[in-house]
Amino acid sequence: MKYMIMTFGSAAGAVEAMGKEWMRDMIAFMHKLDDDLRKSGELVSEEGLADGSTAKTVRFVNGQPVPTDGPFAEAKEALVGYWIVDVESEARAIEIASRITAYVKAPIEVRRVMDAPPDY
Amino acid sequence: MSRRRSRCAGSWTRHPTTKVLDRHIEDLLREVAPQVLGALVRRYGQFDACEDAVQDALLSAARQWPEQGVPDNPRSWLMTVASRRLVDRWRSDSARRRREESFATLELAGQGQPSDQDDTLSLLFLCCHPALSAPSQLALTLRAVGGLTTAQIARAFLVPEATMAQRISRAKERIKGTGVPFGMPPAAERGERLRVVLQVLYLIFNEGYTTSSGPEGLRADLTTEAIRLARMLLQLVPNEGEVAGLLALMLLTDARRAARTLDDGSLVPLAEQRRGLWNRGQIEEGVALLTRTLGKRVVGPYQLQAAIAAIHDEAATAAETDWLQILALYDVLEQVSPGPVVTLNRAVAVAMVNGPRAGLAVLGTLDEDERMEHNHRLEAVRGHLLELAGDAVAARDAYRRAARMTASIPEQRYLALRAARLA
Repeated sequence: MKYMIMTFGSAAGAVEAMGKEWMRDMIAFMHKLDDDLRKSGELVSEEGLADGSTAKTVRFVNGQPVPTDGPFAEAKEALVGYWIVDVESEARAIEIASRITAYVKAPIEVRRVMDAPPDY
Repeated sequence: MSRRRSRCAGSWTRHPTTKVLDRHIEDLLREVAPQVLGALVRRYGQFDACEDAVQDALLSAARQWPEQGVPDNPRSWLMTVASRRLVDRWRSDSARRRREESFATLELAGQGQPSDQDDTLSLLFLCCHPALSAPSQLALTLRAVGGLTTAQIARAFLVPEATMAQRISRAKERIKGTGVPFGMPPAAERGERLRVVLQVLYLIFNEGYTTSSGPEGLRADLTTEAIRLARMLLQLVPNEGEVAGLLALMLLTDARRAARTLDDGSLVPLAEQRRGLWNRGQIEEGVALLTRTLGKRVVGPYQLQAAIAAIHDEAATAAETDWLQILALYDVLEQVSPGPVVTLNRAVAVAMVNGPRAGLAVLGTLDEDERMEHNHRLEAVRGHLLELAGDAVAARDAYRRAARMTASIPEQRYLALRAARLA
């Protein structure tokens, strides 16, 4: 079963907040994680996203789509990256997420990707 | 037997990088692949190296045979090519220690002369080894026993080829790590090991039975491949009632495939399916298998589920379904293999025989069951029974809860529509 593991935050604020060393270790950690997931045959895809402050939202205004800046007032809450993994169980997806959480010390969201066979 | 297999073979090759193989050749290759691999592993040990060598040999055959013709003895052609690959590999292997190890396993070879059948069966047991995770068991079985390429398996499971390659090589490493010798499991473990093999085949079948995502042809081919492997397994162990039961269950379920979804991918419940679209040949074959098996072998959950599927398949209309008999079978199933999913299905049969309120009472016994906590089917069935009982408001709420819980897109749509109809 496939899960999306999502990480939130702000790339722009991170360097100032945590320092250069931390950023360097963080990048090494992410590389190692991707590598481990690739080797275990579980990684479907992973991407990092540009900072939430660069996002555009297309809204439906006065009967037509209009692009606007944003949407995130609180940059901390923006999606900054995700992994899609194909794992044996939800427990395994949570295990992977826990490894990330333990390192970044921020919440990581785990969500099932809709592709399961019906049970009958 | 070959009719169904060739239908499958045609679509497996439907991708741009491989030219479409002659059906006959692909059928032949995939039939002898496990025999060749089994014989090699028995002779040389080293499952992982042998498996790579056989895949190489299969690729060579797929390239050469369509142009140069099929050799007189395809099996020994493949054996020769694969053995040569193995030797090449050992020669180029610079680690002296490893060469000696290979030599040692070579010397062990040739004790006794097990048949191709034994080799194929041993191979199945090895690929479905309990030390492997379920996704690894599925992938390895499809490659080593089914003779599919990593690319084909990756496409069927909707993961990148590199991911599938890693999964397979990891599974092979794991098998090496367990140090299990190639051969039949000890008699005391055989029943349990066979149960795992059946479960792996059933998982492959179910993976293919979904139409919820991915290129539909490839997914359906997984179903066909599971049926092919179950057929092969039955030839190897003709006296195992549950093997016949599983094959019958697959045939009787897959027989409804064409009626199960509409062109837009939406699901059609059993009661509303156009029964004329059901595959009569497959139904007859499944029923015949069951007739030969039921009552003559130890009964088990696959035979019972197949018998239930057969009763559905034999009813000319939904209204003519023999629910009394289905309920009786669920009663037995609940004795033989109790579990919340069985109880859930039994509740539907109870409702059809004794009325929706009686069915709802059975469902109520599952409300405290932790195993059903996140299972959308409990709410979906509850919605259905409430609808039958005439309680539209409660039914709608149950369908909506179910729609939020399912991880299948067609089911989510189906349940949302069901709820909307009652709004």
